[in-house]
Amino acid sequence: MRSAVRVMLFYVLLLLIWEGIFRLRLWPAFLFPSPLQVFRTLAAGLCDTTYLIGIGVSMQRILLGFGISLALGIVVGFCIGSFKILDGTIGPLLNGLRSLPSICWFPLGLLWFGLNENAINFVVIMGAAFCITLATDDGVKNIPPLYLRAASTMGARGLKRFWYVIIPAALPSIITGMKLGWSFAWRSLMAGEMLYVSLGLGHLLMMGRELNDISQMFAVMLVIMVLGLIVDKVVFGLMEREMRVRWGLNAL
Amino acid sequence: MNLDRIMKLRLAGVSKTFLGRKNRVPALEDISLEVQKGEFVCLIGPSGCGKSTLLNIIAGLTQPDRGSVLMDGHPIREPGPDRVVMFQDHALFPWLTVLGNVEFGMKMKGVPKEKRRALAQEFLRMVHLTAFQHAYTHELSGGMKQRVALARALSINPDILLMDEPFCALDAQSREILQAELQEIWSLTRKTIVFVTHNVREAVYLGNRVVVMSARPGRIKKDIAIDLPRPRRLGSLEMIKVTNMVMQELRGEIETVLKEELHDA
Repeated sequence: MRSAVRVMLFYVLLLLIWEGIFRLRLWPAFLFPSPLQVFRTLAAGLCDTTYLIGIGVSMQRILLGFGISLALGIVVGFCIGSFKILDGTIGPLLNGLRSLPSICWFPLGLLWFGLNENAINFVVIMGAAFCITLATDDGVKNIPPLYLRAASTMGARGLKRFWYVIIPAALPSIITGMKLGWSFAWRSLMAGEMLYVSLGLGHLLMMGRELNDISQMFAVMLVIMVLGLIVDKVVFGLMEREMRVRWGLNAL
Repeated sequence: MNLDRIMKLRLAGVSKTFLGRKNRVPALEDISLEVQKGEFVCLIGPSGCGKSTLLNIIAGLTQPDRGSVLMDGHPIREPGPDRVVMFQDHALFPWLTVLGNVEFGMKMKGVPKEKRRALAQEFLRMVHLTAFQHAYTHELSGGMKQRVALARALSINPDILLMDEPFCALDAQSREILQAELQEIWSLTRKTIVFVTHNVREAVYLGNRVVVMSARPGRIKKDIAIDLPRPRRLGSLEMIKVTNMVMQELRGEIETVLKEELHDA
C-alpha cells in the first residue's frame, strides 16, 4: 500500500515539474504543451472516437501480423530445433536476419507490395517472426534430455511426444520469445503506420506533426506507450507469472 | 504351470563399447543374464561397471554393439511403456501437477480420462501422497518426488520396472522409508524389477537376487540368490551376514577400480 502511495506521489511530482517547465516558457507553447493541454486533447480524441478508431485499426493490424509471426515462428522454430540439418543451414541465416532492424525491410516492402496494408504487415512480420523462431528453437534445444528419455520410456512418441512433452517443455522460452516479438512487432507497426494515411495510431501521431498540433503528438505517444505496456505487462506478464509459479522458477 | 519360472528377460552375449574422444571405453563385455517373471533383481557394482548402461540397454535407450536382448522372446529395439525406467533424478515434468505426472504414461497409452484419474489417485494413495496431488513438483521434497516417480512408473503397469539408483540422491531417512515402501509394493504386486544400485545393504534388503558386476569392462562376477524371508528388516542378523558376504565379493572390485583411478591420475 505504501509503495502505491509512493508511486502516485512520484507521478504527481512529475506532472508538477512538467507544468513548471511549461510555465517557465523556455519553449513556445506549440513546441512544448502543458499537461493539461495534452490531457484535454487526449479526452477529446477519445470522446470523438478518432483515437478509438486509431487504436482499433492498429490493434487489428498487430493481431494479424503478430498472429502470423507467431504461427510461422513456432512452426519454423520447432523444425530447426528438431532437425540438425536445418539448424546448421537456416539457423545462422535467421540469426543474421534477426539482427536487421525491422525498418530496414520497408524499402523492400514498399517496392514489393506498394504503399499499402501489405507493406505494413510485411514489416511487422519481419520484425517479430525471427525472434519468435529463434526463441522457440532455443527452447526445443534446451529441453533436458532426461525429460525426453523419461517420456520415451513411458511410450510418448510422434505427435503425442511433440504435443505433451516438447511443446510444454519449450514453453518458457517460447513465452519469452513472444514477449520480445510483441515489442518488435509494435515498434515496426508504429513506424509503418507513419508512412501513409493508414488511420492507425502511427498515422495519428504523424497527423499531429502535419497539423503542428504538439499536444496531439504527446497524447498519441501516451496512448501508444500505455497500450504497449498493457499488452506487455498484462497479457504476457500474466502468462509468464503463471508459468514461473508452476515451474517453481521464482524460488530459485 | 509354475508361475515362478516364466522367463521374462534374457540377455545373451551383450557387449557395449563407448567411443571417447581419444580412446575406446569398454563398458560391458559378454553379459548374459536371465530374469524370471516376478523376480526382484539388483545389479550392483563399483562406479563405472556399466550397470546403468546395462539398464539402459534393457530399456531400449541404448543399443548394444553385440549380443541379444529378448523380452518374452522378442528382441528389444526401442524404449516402450512395457519397460518403464525410474531414474536417479526424478524426471518429473515441471509443467504438470503431481496428478498430471502420474497420469502422463496412461495418457500416452490412451487410457480414458476418468479411468486414469481414478488409477492415478489409487497409486498416489499407495505412495502416501494423496494430500499433494494438486501440487507442482517443485513444491515437493526429494523423497516425495521419487515417490511420485514410483507411482507414475507403476501406474503404467509395465511388464518390467527398471530402476536406476532411484534412492541414491535421497537423505538416509527418506531412503529407508522408500526402500520399505518398495519392498511392500513388490510383495503386493510381484512386479518384475531390475534395480541398479551401488549400495550393498539396499541390494540385499530388496532383491531376490543380487548380481555383482566387475568394472572395466563390466562383467557379471557373481549371481547370488537372497533367500531371506520377507518382510525383511534392515539391520537384522541374517541381513548383516548376507550383506557382509556380498561386500566381500565387491571389495576386490572396488579396490581394483580405485587403484586404476589413482594410477590414471
